[in-house]
Amino acid sequence: MAQSFASVSSAVRRSPQMPDHNFRYWIIAPSVFLLLLIGLFPLIYAFVVSFQQITMTDYDTSFAGLVNYQALFSDQRLWESILHTIVITVIALPVELILGLALAYLFLEKMYGKQIFISLIVLPTVISPIVSGATWRLLFDQRYGPINQVLSWIAGREVVMLWTIEPILVYPAILICEIWQWTPFMFLILLAALSSVDKSLTEAAELDGAGFWRIFLKIELPAIWPVMAIAILIRGVDLFRIFDMVWALTGGGPGTYTETISIYTYVQGFRQFETSYTAAIAFLIVALMSFVVTWAIRRMGLAK
Amino acid sequence: MSDVKISGLHKHFGAVHVLKGIDLEIPTGEFTVLVGPSGCGKSTLLRTIAGLEEVEQGEIAISGQRMNDVRPRDRNIAMVFQNYALYPYLNVFENIAFGLRARKMPESEIKERVTSAAEMLGITGLLERFPRQLSGGQRQRVAIGRAIVRKAQLFLFDEPLSNLDAQLRDEMRGEIKKLHQTIDVTMIYVTHDQIEAMTLADRIVLMREGRIEQVGAPLDLYERPATHFVAGFLGSPKINFVHGEVLISGSEQVLRLVDGETISLPAIASTWPKNIILGIRPQYLGLASESRSPDDVRFSRIIDLIQPTGSRTYITVKLGGRDLVAEIESTSRGNVGDVLDLSFNRLNALFFDPATGRAL
Amino acid sequence: MVILGRYLLALSVLIFFVFPIYWLFAISFKTPEEIFHFPPVWYPQKIQFANYWVLFKDGDATSVWNSFILAGSSTIIAMILGTICAYSLVRFKTGGENFAVWIISQRLMPPIAIIFPIFLLYVFFGWVDSYGGLILLYTAFNLPYVIWMMRGYIEDIPIELEESALVDGCSRWAVLWKVVFPMARAGLFATAVFTFVFAWNEFIFALVLSRTEVTTYTVQVTHYFGGQSNFWAKIAAMSVLGTVPVFITVATLQRFLVRGISMGAVKG
Repeated sequence: MAQSFASVSSAVRRSPQMPDHNFRYWIIAPSVFLLLLIGLFPLIYAFVVSFQQITMTDYDTSFAGLVNYQALFSDQRLWESILHTIVITVIALPVELILGLALAYLFLEKMYGKQIFISLIVLPTVISPIVSGATWRLLFDQRYGPINQVLSWIAGREVVMLWTIEPILVYPAILICEIWQWTPFMFLILLAALSSVDKSLTEAAELDGAGFWRIFLKIELPAIWPVMAIAILIRGVDLFRIFDMVWALTGGGPGTYTETISIYTYVQGFRQFETSYTAAIAFLIVALMSFVVTWAIRRMGLAK
Repeated sequence: MSDVKISGLHKHFGAVHVLKGIDLEIPTGEFTVLVGPSGCGKSTLLRTIAGLEEVEQGEIAISGQRMNDVRPRDRNIAMVFQNYALYPYLNVFENIAFGLRARKMPESEIKERVTSAAEMLGITGLLERFPRQLSGGQRQRVAIGRAIVRKAQLFLFDEPLSNLDAQLRDEMRGEIKKLHQTIDVTMIYVTHDQIEAMTLADRIVLMREGRIEQVGAPLDLYERPATHFVAGFLGSPKINFVHGEVLISGSEQVLRLVDGETISLPAIASTWPKNIILGIRPQYLGLASESRSPDDVRFSRIIDLIQPTGSRTYITVKLGGRDLVAEIESTSRGNVGDVLDLSFNRLNALFFDPATGRAL
Repeated sequence: MVILGRYLLALSVLIFFVFPIYWLFAISFKTPEEIFHFPPVWYPQKIQFANYWVLFKDGDATSVWNSFILAGSSTIIAMILGTICAYSLVRFKTGGENFAVWIISQRLMPPIAIIFPIFLLYVFFGWVDSYGGLILLYTAFNLPYVIWMMRGYIEDIPIELEESALVDGCSRWAVLWKVVFPMARAGLFATAVFTFVFAWNEFIFALVLSRTEVTTYTVQVTHYFGGQSNFWAKIAAMSVLGTVPVFITVATLQRFLVRGISMGAVKG
C-alpha cells in the first residue's frame, strides 16, 4: 500500500524548473528584437525629435517644447490631407464591401467554370498598387486611353477628360482604381465565409417561409460578421495609409488636391526635410492608429 | 530496478487543484492501472511521471533517482498515447525507429530492434506503409512498437484503447496483457474503463478528485472496498446501494429502510453510526432458493424491468425507495409486473458510513 | 433564363476586372505606333518583345532581380524566425494576450510613420541603398504576418506528436525541426508565398531606402513617369515583368488564397 513520504523538505520547497524552461524565450528573442526595431525604436525617436527643431537648414536639438505639435493644429495642409484620406476611406470601404458581398452571392451557388471565373477576378488584388495605379493612369489617358475613347464613341464626339488632372475627376479616378483592385479581396473573403455558413440553417429558414432579406439579415450576416469585421479592419487600415496607388495615379496632385496623409508626411520628411515636424506628424499618426487598432483588436478578441 | 516513488505531489492548473497530495509506490515489474472518473487527475499524474508536466510540489523518483528536473527524454521511459501519435509523413519503419534515430543509434542496431519488435507485434508486413493506410488496431500496434524498441525501464500508457471499437478493444487488451508477460517491465496504465482496470492490473490505483481513493489488487478492491465510492466504481453492473437506519432491540440488530422494510443484520460494532448504507452486488442478489439459511435476507418485489444480455438476465425491482438490480439465470422466465422472491446472503453485504463514505 | 442572366452578369464582372490587366499586357507588346494611335488599337498586330528588350539592354530589368533577392531573402528569414516565435506563442503562451496583440498591431502600423526614423538610422550606419539594410527591414515588417498565420497552422498540429517525440529522445529544438516544420509544411508554403508577394509588391520602403544599387521593380516603374511624357511602353513592360511572377506563384496556390489574404480569418 502507499506509504507516506511527507518529508518536510519536499513538501514545502518548490522544485526548480526543468532545463528546457527558457527555450520558449530563446525562440522569440530574434523576432522580438526585430519587432522592437521597427515598432519601438521609431516611436521613441519620433517622440524625442518631435520636441526638437531640426529642419533642412537648422540642426537645433535643443528642447523646444510643444512647438511642433502646436504647428500641427494650424497646418492647413495637414488637415486637408487627413480630410482627403478620410474621404477616400469612407467612400471606398463601403462600396468594396457591398460590391464584394454582391459578387459573393453571384458566385455562391454552383456554376460551370466557377473556379476559372474566381481565379481571374482575383488577379487585381495580387498586383502591386503601383502597377495598378500605373495601369489606370494608362487607361485614363486623355488621348490614347481606352476610357476616353469609349466615352467619345458613346457621345459621338471627342471626349477629352483629364482624369488624373482635373480636380473634379481625380477622386473618381482614384476611387475607381482602388475599388477595382480591392473589391476582389472582399469578394474572396466573403465568398469563403458565406460558403461555410451551415446550410441546414438557411434551408430550415426557407422552409419556414423566410425571404432572401430575412435570411440574409438574421442568419447569414451574423454568421459571417466575425470574418467581415476582420476584413473591414484590414482594408480600413490599408485605406487610411494609402500611398502607392495615389502616388502612381496623381502624385498627390493636382497640387496637393489628392494628397493623403501618408503622401503629405513623405513630402514633409523627404522633400522638405522638416525632420522634427515630420516626427511630430508621425507620432501623431502612430498614436492615433495604435489606439484605434488596439481597441479594434481587443474588441474582436483576435488575440484569443 | 525500475520502481517509481511519488511523494507529496501537488499540482495546479491555474486555480484548479488537480493533484492534492499523491503518495504512491510502484514496485519494479508491476502492471499498475490508474483508474477513475474524468477529471480525477490520473492523466495528469501519468504525464507528470513522464515529465510532460512540471512538478510544482513533491517528488518523483524512478529507480531511486529524483526525476523532478530531468527532461522526459532522459528518464528512460516509453509512452503510448491515446491518439497513437504516429507521424503521418513517415512510414511504419521510420515511425518505430524515430526515437532510436533521435538518440543516434547505429543503423544496424536500429534495423535489428525494429524488425524484432515488428515480429513480436505481427506487423512485419506493414513496415513500408504509411499511417493513413493502417487500421486502428494496426496503428495502435505501431505505437506500441515504438515504445518497445526503446527498451525503456518504464512504460506509460495514456488511455490507449479509448479510440477503438468494443471488439477491437477486447482483443488489444489481451495483447497488452501478453506484452507485459513477455517483457517484464514496470508499466503504468491510465484508463477510465473499470473493466480494463480489473483485467489488466496487478494493482489498481483508484483516484478521485485529485486524491488516491484506494490502492490494491483488483479483487481486493472489488471484495473489500475501502469506501462507498470504490464499491460503486468497480463492478458491472453497478453495486446496489440502500439507505437505512440501524435499530437495536435487545439482541436483534435490524436495518430499517426508508419504506419501512426491515432487514436483520449480522454483527454490528458499537462504533457504527445511526444511518448507514448497505451495498449488495447484483450477482449476490438472486432468486430466493429453496434451502433456507439463517444468513439469508428474503423479500418479494414486483418486477419493474427485465434486461436480458444473453448469458445473464438483470431484473430491476424497488427496495427502500430505490432501484435494485438482481442477476438471475437467463433460463428463468418472468414478466414485468410479476412478483418475484429474491434473497441475498447478508454476509455478502457491504456497509458504509454515509457521512465519510468509509466502509464499516 | 436566370442562369443566362447570371452568366452575363458574371461575364461583365469578369471583363471589368480583367480588361485593365489585359490592356497593360497589350501595351507592353505594342509598337509605338499602335500605342499612340487614335482610335485605340484593341490588340497588337503581333506580339513583339521590343519593349522588353529595351529594358534588358538598359539594365533596368535588374530591378526585377533586385526585387527577387530582397523578397526572397526576407521571406526565408522571416519564415524561420516567425515560425519558431509562433510556436512559443502557441505551446507556451509566452507573453500572453498582450504580446499577441502587440505583434498583430505591428502589421497594421503605417509604414510612413516609421520610415523616417529608420531612414535616419540607416543613414547613420551607412545602410541606405544596401541589400542587407532592406532585407533586414522587410524581414522585420513581414514578421507579424508570418507569426500570425503560423500560429493558426501550428495550433492544428496534434500536440501528442510533439510529446511523443520529447519522450522518445528529442530535444525541444529537434522537435521543432523534426515534427513541427514537417507537419506544418502546407501552411509554411502558403504563408511563405504571401509573405513573398507582399514584399515583392512593396514600394515605399524601397523608394526611401534605395538609390541606384538596390532599385526594385516597383520603384523602377515610377522612374518612367516623366513630367512631360510618360514612357508608356516601358511602364507597361516593367509592370508585366513584375507582375507575371506573382500571377504564377499565386496560381499554384489557389487553395490557400483565402486563408492567406484574410490573415487566417477564414480557413477557406
